Amino acid sequence: MFAPFDVPYMQSALFAGLLIAVPCGLLGVWVVLRGLAFFSHAVGVATFPGVVIGLGVPAIGPFAGSLLAAGAFGAAVSSVENDHRVRGGAVTGLALAAAMATGAVLLTTVARVSTPVETVLFGSLLGISDTDIVRCAVVAALTLAALPLLWARLSASTFDRAWAAPAGARPQRTDVLLLTLLGFTVVTALPAVGSLMVSGLLVIPAATARLLCERLATLSVCAVALCAAEVVIGLAAARELDVAPGASIAALGGVGFALAAAVSAARSGWARRTVAA
Amino acid sequence: MGAPDGGRLSPSAQPTGRRVDPPTTLEVERMSVSYGDRPALEGVSFELTGGTFAGVLGPNGAGKTTLLRALLGAIPAIGRVALHGRAAYVPQLTSVSEAFPVDALGVVLMGRYPLLGWRRRPGRSDRRLAGELLAEVGLADRARSPFGSLSGGQRQRVLMARALAQEGDVLLLDEPLTGIDAPSQQTILGVIGAQRAQGRTVVMTTHDLAQAARECDRLLLLNRTLVADGTAEEVLRSEVLGRAYETEVVLLDGRAALIDEGAHHHPPMRPGGLA
Repeated sequence: MFAPFDVPYMQSALFAGLLIAVPCGLLGVWVVLRGLAFFSHAVGVATFPGVVIGLGVPAIGPFAGSLLAAGAFGAAVSSVENDHRVRGGAVTGLALAAAMATGAVLLTTVARVSTPVETVLFGSLLGISDTDIVRCAVVAALTLAALPLLWARLSASTFDRAWAAPAGARPQRTDVLLLTLLGFTVVTALPAVGSLMVSGLLVIPAATARLLCERLATLSVCAVALCAAEVVIGLAAARELDVAPGASIAALGGVGFALAAAVSAARSGWARRTVAA
Repeated sequence: MGAPDGGRLSPSAQPTGRRVDPPTTLEVERMSVSYGDRPALEGVSFELTGGTFAGVLGPNGAGKTTLLRALLGAIPAIGRVALHGRAAYVPQLTSVSEAFPVDALGVVLMGRYPLLGWRRRPGRSDRRLAGELLAEVGLADRARSPFGSLSGGQRQRVLMARALAQEGDVLLLDEPLTGIDAPSQQTILGVIGAQRAQGRTVVMTTHDLAQAARECDRLLLLNRTLVADGTAEEVLRSEVLGRAYETEVVLLDGRAALIDEGAHHHPPMRPGGLA
């Protein structure tokens, strides 16, 4: 079982993955409850040109490059998304396509990058440095420290924003803090899972947990546990099958979600039959 | 209209056995609100005292919700708005995300956060109070039910209990009786009655003129401006309603038909010339 993790690079990937599972699971719950799944996927994709620039200009580096790209994307989308004429993800989709195109153009023209494009988009088992592990630990610690303080405000403003604002929950400030944590988490997860597959850790485990749990606390614990399980099995599978870890993790998450959907459908069918009897 | 000047509480001047004039809880003077360059409310002035149950009437887009949100300070207004004490709020049921994983008790506990300061967890006494408030709205047995599994009337009652948990002196209720069954309406009206008896001021928006006439002791008729302010006798007259609804409104049997709506099968009010 643990044979896949008998080499140092796999152990680094495992450490980083388990650490980033904590913020991914916890923040993923709010991503799902607030309908930010498409937005957070787009943040991941938006980092693509940032990573390319960072790889091409060593003074910037992929981490700072992707952080800048994620910040610019978030600011650009939130500045226009309140225009009701383009609600429902139109702006997010447009910016996503623009980011993808910019990244592709930069990759083949300006930046002389030796890193293969698959690594940027789907992650790599080999790319996890000690610095990446430290970053994962810092983001996990920040999330664990911030969420309990934000919990009541996040709950109230997600459940009923019209009530929460006059009640003093400061929903806008809460939004900014949540999106900032989300941005750091996405950027930190990139070396392992790549720009295209961030949703595999951020959205899929939380959405799966939502099918199985009715209470916020159990939902959060369940999301982190599913995220960690995806990391362990997904990394092992990536090595055994020689595929990119972002792809194996997301594929595994998809299977998990399908199973949970089947379980939840069977459960409600059983409940209906019990009521009818 | 409303409280006479000098109607403030002065207990020493009251002879024994006489009711003390209730204190003014809400003062609004020449209040205006606009969304961008579109005016939503203009020059609205009124005063309410403790124990008053005011109904806010008017057509869609008249500014009823805007009035409540301006009173809460949730949207900027010019003019003077003085709300003495704490406000509690029940927004329209449609503002709630029903998929959010929280049970009925959890929703009521949210009402404690403004008092606790948003970083303290509700304690044992808060949980006990929330349980009592759920019992007051007739949902003691649904405390652990997910909010999304409750019926519309039950949800509205949970939101009412959340507002009671805020321990407000002024309750602002946005269409709390709209689209819910009669028993839930009666429960909510009972809760409002109990709040009034404790000296709280209740402001409710509604589209049901007959119900407002029966239940409220003060009616505010809005259409961007305050068209009329007074008792049902003063406000629910066809020429007054016509000004607010910008169409001819004819009341069958005049106001009496409105007040006695429960006794007849006629609709209390019909548009057009059905006199």
